[in-house]
Amino acid sequence: MFTIVAVAALAGCDLPRDPDGTLKRVRGGTMRVGMVVDTPWVTDSGDGAGGIERTIVDDLSRELGAKVEWHRGSAEQLLDSLHERELDLVIGGFTTQSPWKQQVALTKAYYTDTLMLHGKRTEQPHAVAVAPGENAWQVAVERVLRGKRNEFPTLRRAAGR
Amino acid sequence: MSVGRPFRIPEELGGEHRRIRTLSWLSIGLLMVAGTMIYLTVGQSQAMKTAWISDVLTAIPPMALLVAMRYELRAPSKRFPFGYSRAVSVAFLVTASMLSLIGLYLLYDSAMKLIRREHPPIGTMELFGHQFWLGWAMLCTLFFSMCVGILLGKLKGPIAEKLQSKALQAEAEMNQAEWMSEGAAIIGILLVAFGFWWGDSAAAAFISIEIVRDGWHNVRQVIADLMDESPTKLGERELEPLPERVRDAARALPWVAEAGTRLREHGHAVTGQVFVVPRSASGMDGAQLLQAAEEATATLRRLDWRLHEILVVPVSALESTIPPRTPSDDDRPR
Repeated sequence: MFTIVAVAALAGCDLPRDPDGTLKRVRGGTMRVGMVVDTPWVTDSGDGAGGIERTIVDDLSRELGAKVEWHRGSAEQLLDSLHERELDLVIGGFTTQSPWKQQVALTKAYYTDTLMLHGKRTEQPHAVAVAPGENAWQVAVERVLRGKRNEFPTLRRAAGR
Repeated sequence: MSVGRPFRIPEELGGEHRRIRTLSWLSIGLLMVAGTMIYLTVGQSQAMKTAWISDVLTAIPPMALLVAMRYELRAPSKRFPFGYSRAVSVAFLVTASMLSLIGLYLLYDSAMKLIRREHPPIGTMELFGHQFWLGWAMLCTLFFSMCVGILLGKLKGPIAEKLQSKALQAEAEMNQAEWMSEGAAIIGILLVAFGFWWGDSAAAAFISIEIVRDGWHNVRQVIADLMDESPTKLGERELEPLPERVRDAARALPWVAEAGTRLREHGHAVTGQVFVVPRSASGMDGAQLLQAAEEATATLRRLDWRLHEILVVPVSALESTIPPRTPSDDDRPR
């Protein structure tokens, strides 16, 4: 009982915090987003990303009042920059089983795609990558993802195969 | 004579002995529940991972004890004429060495995470439609696991005392020590909540050191057992005065001039020899001596319930090498 009260009290006082203060910096500032093209999740729309995961970035930037700064590159380059906290978020159709999952922080799956792979029905839980250990930031991103959870199936169907 | 008979736990302690079994099952059950809860909230926290492994590891000694207890009271056989009392020690050796090795690996793992400055990502989880930081759930499960450890330790301690059971005593200590591990993990997660990323790995390193310390302590103890160490006080390294008590009781027999003992622990039982020099004036013939020696065995066994295969060996003279030797020798540190 004591712990529940103690935990509830702690949960009230603006925790967790980011070791590098990502959320504070992004709120009302600039969000540095890496994009790896992976149709239909991330497409190149000329002025940045398009596709399903673009809507995540839009919602985040609206919620936090942040400008978006796009960075194009390969998954390896961008995720390495993310690990070094030179980026705040990388989108690129990643799944939670990504081989990069030890180097960066993948969020909870926001949508599970079912497709045929090597003749087998395979479930692919999609996620976006955030800077590892920036927990307040990760919580903020996951809240937005959860808020949008009902939109993803529609977006996915609209995007087709 | 008690040679060749299975070791029996005395009537009045039989209940306690049976309770070990209940307690072992209770330990396994509770630790599995705690382990599952931690597993569900483990995320990518090193402290949680270590606490989880530590929880699972503490469930192994009660399992080993349960297995060993099936063998312990078996009658000696043609192949194992000294009986199966050492089954407990064997079970203990295996679990203690495993514990030390896993602890060392975890220590290395945590230290590397600290050196590479790996920041632990801890996201959110959903429960009953609410989304909250996984760290809060971690704190709750760690607290639960801490309570389980303290409870089990408190239950096992007194029974270990009554049965002079080193295995159970070690388990009780291990369970009690869990509060430090879980406590460290709680502090680690709280540090992470406040934005100190190193709290997680530092807590994990601390827990690993605790695991290694536990394992090493137990390995030393069980190796001493297998080396036929003279009985020691429960949970301590100090020797018990039992050999001296047996020797003094043997000396007090009217027909005995001088006596020496050599005892060792054999699982829960204590076995060994009592060498006696009959008084030359007693004028006993062979048959009388045999009878006196057998009666002496029965008398000496009544000194302590743990005394099992005590052999009274009549000798013409005691060699100076028969223990217990002078007190200064007994106190020499091992």
